[in-house]
Amino acid sequence: MEAEVSRRLAEAALAAAQADGAEVRLLDEAGQRLVVTAAAGDAPHPAVSLALEESPLAREALAGGGPVIGADVDLTAAPRPGSSLLCLPLQHEGRSLGLLCLHAHLPRRFDTTDGARLTPLAALGAAAVAVTQALAEEKNLEASRAQFVRVATHELRSPVAVAQSLVRGVLKGYAGPLTEKQQEVFSRISHRLDFLESLVNDLLDLAAGKAPELGEPVAPVSVTASLRRVVVLWQPHAEEKGLTLTLRVPRDPLLVHATEEGLDRVFVNLVSNAVKYTTTGGTVTVTAERAGGQVEVVVSDTGIGIPTEALPHLFEEFYRAPNAKALGEVGTGLGLAIVRDLVQRYGGRIGVQSVVGAGTTFTVTFPVAGEGSG
Amino acid sequence: MPKILVIEDDPDMVAAVRMPLEAHGYEVVAAASGAEGLKKVKEIHPDLIILDVMMETTTAGFQVSLQLRSPDPASEYAPYRHIPILMLTAIHSTTSLRFGPDEAYLPVDDFVDKPIDPEVLVEKVRRMIGQ
Repeated sequence: MEAEVSRRLAEAALAAAQADGAEVRLLDEAGQRLVVTAAAGDAPHPAVSLALEESPLAREALAGGGPVIGADVDLTAAPRPGSSLLCLPLQHEGRSLGLLCLHAHLPRRFDTTDGARLTPLAALGAAAVAVTQALAEEKNLEASRAQFVRVATHELRSPVAVAQSLVRGVLKGYAGPLTEKQQEVFSRISHRLDFLESLVNDLLDLAAGKAPELGEPVAPVSVTASLRRVVVLWQPHAEEKGLTLTLRVPRDPLLVHATEEGLDRVFVNLVSNAVKYTTTGGTVTVTAERAGGQVEVVVSDTGIGIPTEALPHLFEEFYRAPNAKALGEVGTGLGLAIVRDLVQRYGGRIGVQSVVGAGTTFTVTFPVAGEGSG
Repeated sequence: MPKILVIEDDPDMVAAVRMPLEAHGYEVVAAASGAEGLKKVKEIHPDLIILDVMMETTTAGFQVSLQLRSPDPASEYAPYRHIPILMLTAIHSTTSLRFGPDEAYLPVDDFVDKPIDPEVLVEKVRRMIGQ
């Protein structure tokens, strides 16, 4: 992308100045060398990569911040009789990025008017170069984060998995009979390891969710189908707890731009929370419908509710409402942070209303796929 | 007594696999790398192989299974091609990396997820050995 921006800049400058050649030279990371990133016309450049100290003209242009004109010399100040040179610094927000140099096979071809005329083009080019460099840097950061997540996935999960496997074997009596007390202690250890496993998995999901290149491409997928899968999955848990879990969806597949896996994850989190925090005899109702250009999904329960003071923190990482913690259910405080991330990635919004002791309603809206800009 | 070869580089995971299998009367032999595993296959001719995916490299287990199941009749592992392989995986079930037994992709017969549930492991081993 940097090469493309440089090429366009060199070509535009060549045409604007009616010169014989143009080249864009950018400073390397150390700021010591000027490297040609694009050339247009017959640019007689001395070397593709040039140390700053070899080029008094380049130093002058970069230090002065304005155009520099050379007569009968090249960029290294070597004699080149009958030629002209015009160098403009590429600077953006006070930072020197490199040079835009123009050459002509004529003596005294450039004057200060040419310099002034090309200055806005150089400024625009510098801004474009700065943006592409920033984008490339961000891409690198994202790639290394994705790599970190992959390594962490293995390094964090495997010791937990080993410990869990061993403890499960002991609990089943494969390491010899256990006393009642030992059984209780190992059960506690096992419970903590289960928690640690879900914490690690949630953390990695969160990290992976924020590194977009790890995700599948977004395409139109059905909200109705996703809700059916999730409700079928949670129906047995609801029945076990003596809850009524109801799904009301239209025939319409309700397509939105997302991934099936991401959408499932959103609804699994919301439905499982509702089931988790609703006591026996309660109800959990899931509905979906089209409202204009939006698909609206409502998950409401008659559970313990969320205190008003907890609502602003609900989507923060590791936050758990005090009454949720008091219930003793396993929870990492990451589920709703993951939900919020995913919903935002799919261009949607999430809201919550709750009354302590009466219940909670989560409302998620997504733009309908295939309409408006989509 | 049926012999089971466990190819796994983590001694603690070997212990976790060994515990329920020995309690059910299986003889368990361990190998700590893919190369050692291939050598032991020839030495002890096991009734079943339990294979980890990530060992000295992230795909060492895949390489072992590909070699054992090589369709080449001249392969040095041809006499062992019929031995059932149970693969240990640590693939997080909620990621998109779900995979199941797929002959075309990976010649193993079944998978067990880590962390291991000892009863699931024993049940799979029993079925695969044909008991």
